[in-house]
Amino acid sequence: MTRILAYCGFHHAAQIALPAIGVDAQPVQLMSAGCLGLLWSEVEWPFVPDQMQRSALAFHQVVRHVFDQTAIIPFRLLSVFEDQQALRAFVAENQERFLVDLERLKDFVQMECVVYPAPGQAQAGSGTGKAYLEKKAAAMRSSEGFAQAVRNAVAHLGHEVRVREGKNGTRIFVLVERGRESDFRQAVSVLPLPEHLSRRISGPWPAAEFLSEQVKAPQIVSQKNAGAK
Amino acid sequence: MGRGRRIRLSLMPNDFESVEVLGGEEEVSLLEILDHVLNSGVVIHGSLVISLAGVDLVYLGLNVVLTSVETALTNLQIEEKRKK
Repeated sequence: MTRILAYCGFHHAAQIALPAIGVDAQPVQLMSAGCLGLLWSEVEWPFVPDQMQRSALAFHQVVRHVFDQTAIIPFRLLSVFEDQQALRAFVAENQERFLVDLERLKDFVQMECVVYPAPGQAQAGSGTGKAYLEKKAAAMRSSEGFAQAVRNAVAHLGHEVRVREGKNGTRIFVLVERGRESDFRQAVSVLPLPEHLSRRISGPWPAAEFLSEQVKAPQIVSQKNAGAK
Repeated sequence: MGRGRRIRLSLMPNDFESVEVLGGEEEVSLLEILDHVLNSGVVIHGSLVISLAGVDLVYLGLNVVLTSVETALTNLQIEEKRKK
């Protein structure tokens, strides 16, 4: 059985070089709808579990190939459509929203800084439940303080900042102008960090965190809207 | 609604080593790549559970991603501690 695997959408232009091979070594194909280009491959479905890692890397490489040249809207791996017709219907329905987001994000990339407990600090110390909670609250305050410091430090180059708390730390997403990634790294890497915290800076990534809700989860939004009527 | 099909994603300790990304000047950990390809971007219909050492990683059943790699790893650490 085969399915249509979607990789990413982008503002299609003649100068953009497209990758030839994608997941499962299948040819990468282009579907165009107006100015919107969308890359896809016909793949064997479901994925062979042992090949998942390889598939994830192949998927990433296709997305990265285009992202290195222009802004993209990535799909998540495992975003499969029944057939080309289903993909075409999806594109027709969402084309406008995709293009609006692509226009908004065309000059930006997403940089990230994750702040997490330094090795050895994560689960250190048992003590009482109260002590644990106090420690956790203190760690959270430190992370929040650092997140604020990042906001301040990148204010001159970050157009938008989003912070998400996770169980393993705080993730700070910053929308940075393409080409200014090293400025971001420089600004964030020199910020003093509390002793018990570590940081990891990564990017550039596609600005997925900054996509509009309608683009990020089109069906959920349309279902919500239908339910509200 | 029943749960989706469950598959296992191999994520052994070695996988945390850095890998060279095509076209990239810098090294990005495989874990970060997995996190992004699974957790960032457009979610569409699907019905699939990926499991990491028995912990659901991503569930694309009702179009909703319930957990992330991050959560799965936390659960995995707890599970490993429990076993010790």
